[in-house]
Amino acid sequence: MRADEIEVRNPSGLHARPAALFVKAAARFVSKVTVQNVTTGAAPADAKSILAVMGSGAAKGHTVRLTADGPDEEQAIAVLHDLFASGLGEELEA
Amino acid sequence: MTSTVRLMGVAGAPGIAVGPIWRFGATEPVLPATTSRQVPGQRPDDAIRAAAAETARQLDALAGRIRDLGREQEAAIFDAQSLMALDPTLVDDAVQRAGEAGDPADAVRAAAGAAAELLASLDDEILSARAADVRDVGARICRVLRGEVLHLPAVPSIAVSDDLPPSVTAEIPPGFLLGIALAGGSKTAHAVILARSLGIPAIVGISGLIVAVDARATPSAPPVAMAMDGERGEVIVDPGTLEAAEFRQREADLALRRADAAGLRERPTATADGERVLLVANIGTPDDAPRALAVRAEGVGLFRTEFLFMSRQTAPTETEQAEAYCRVLEAFGPERPVVIRLADIGGDKAIPYLQLAPEQNPFLGVRAIRLAYANPDLLLTQLRAIWRAGAAANVVPHVMAPMVATIADVELLMSLRDQARESLVGNGLPAAERMVTGIMVEVPSAAFLAPELARRVDFFSIGTNDLTQYILAADRGNAALAAFQDALHPAVLRAIAGVVAGADAAGIPVAVCGELAGDPAGALILVGLGVDELSADAGSLDGVRAALARVTRPQLDALARSALDASDAETVREMAGALLAPAG
Repeated sequence: MRADEIEVRNPSGLHARPAALFVKAAARFVSKVTVQNVTTGAAPADAKSILAVMGSGAAKGHTVRLTADGPDEEQAIAVLHDLFASGLGEELEA
Repeated sequence: MTSTVRLMGVAGAPGIAVGPIWRFGATEPVLPATTSRQVPGQRPDDAIRAAAAETARQLDALAGRIRDLGREQEAAIFDAQSLMALDPTLVDDAVQRAGEAGDPADAVRAAAGAAAELLASLDDEILSARAADVRDVGARICRVLRGEVLHLPAVPSIAVSDDLPPSVTAEIPPGFLLGIALAGGSKTAHAVILARSLGIPAIVGISGLIVAVDARATPSAPPVAMAMDGERGEVIVDPGTLEAAEFRQREADLALRRADAAGLRERPTATADGERVLLVANIGTPDDAPRALAVRAEGVGLFRTEFLFMSRQTAPTETEQAEAYCRVLEAFGPERPVVIRLADIGGDKAIPYLQLAPEQNPFLGVRAIRLAYANPDLLLTQLRAIWRAGAAANVVPHVMAPMVATIADVELLMSLRDQARESLVGNGLPAAERMVTGIMVEVPSAAFLAPELARRVDFFSIGTNDLTQYILAADRGNAALAAFQDALHPAVLRAIAGVVAGADAAGIPVAVCGELAGDPAGALILVGLGVDELSADAGSLDGVRAALARVTRPQLDALARSALDASDAETVREMAGALLAPAG
């Protein structure tokens, strides 16, 4: 299993549009992928479920923990990390 | 036998419409649940998965169509909804519920409802608003399961519903939506925003609407008609010939007023005899700037800065604030001054990082400039940000402090202002050369002290909403005291006259930035009393401009004199109305 922690920098957190991009990307991997809001201490959520991802309530400044478990886990974490860092389709404040 | 019903709601988007009703959503809550249509031999879980997949396909197609029309933000909602339809959490929950309860559509509705409640419970306004999107997805899957087709209006119609989800409005062909009348919803509902962008009227919160419409709908009768006035928030269900004609007349008047207003925008705002009045806008965020510029506001008389301080866990940084202010200063440029109001916050708003003590009477409590006596950092940071924004935009920034009650308040304001600039310059940071510094006159003591305060500041801006509340000792939020909240009350007008006299003696200008400034009758009285500048919501500027263009200075002087001696606000309103009524 691979894991990674990253800070949410989207101005309105993981609301519909960034969550949709993230879920679409996660769904392309065979591995089981989860996202957990470390800041609120919520349980890990299925990263392939937009309802679960939005339900994690990840707001700007929160830290989330990504995990991937399966044959393409390494690639999954790398791709999802880059997607987060690039702002999930949104412009981030400097 | 039924008769015409006149109902009132909350004005959402202006405009007049008369036409047949298209009733959305009637079958869902009203009729008993029909049995789901199932392919013989198909298991409930297969039926649900197939319907969910079909719904996702429909939503993808809808997203594509809307994206091609250039409505990217709406398209993104349908992208997210498409994922919701396929969401394993939702679909698995529905399958499990179907196994227990039987009917697949009921199971989907229950699962979507549960998912929506989870989102609605989140302490996040944007995410909890997505709850409606999930319910909408559930309703769509149910329609597919039951083989129901969404009956879109066959002729141009007025949509009547409790609420109108985006995925439904987007399906309606352009031109087929004449107006939107909702029993629920709020002024910020998606449907209202859509109506504004389409230029059609919208009214929300119309109680009694659904009952009135459904009582008249019978399967055999032709669709019921309706007339609506989005400016007044008025609807007429089943209008007679007379009412329909009345609304057609209003429609014609509105078209005329809009044409006149567009013509007046091209000239500076003035009375019929050519006296100039500075007409500027109130804005709440940098995003309001384009709307104000579009109606030719000559600047901003009130830029509320609270948006920077609310709904967040930490205080906004100096840089973040400077950028927001700079955006507005640059949008209006050096020719159109922007008055930035220092944060008007206090115990009535929950601002976690300020740790404000709860108060019995927050509107008579430690708020705005009063916070700075014990804790000057909030205002110092804001003032530094404004000095920097002025330098960055290369304009002289204008600021005003709310809630000023005493001369000591003004001295504190000036000292913080100078301190803020010194700390920037001391650190080698750029700051504007000077700052035009004014105060809001909204506390009765400031009105009484006007002559003394005027010698110490660059301008006054009268906040008529709070001034009225404090002079008449009537809580603005208390509907039982609505009769005490009319700023045209002669007691308030006498206070304004005193403020103008004090300002004139010191040679400083007086603005008004309360709602009274955007009310055509109020604007006439204020200019009559000698106010130099009116600041109102962008949507009110055309009406004020048109009212001023119809009157002369001598008429306004006479109006102001009689208003000061009137016995109540109603009489004052009638006097101003008489001046505005078309002659003959």
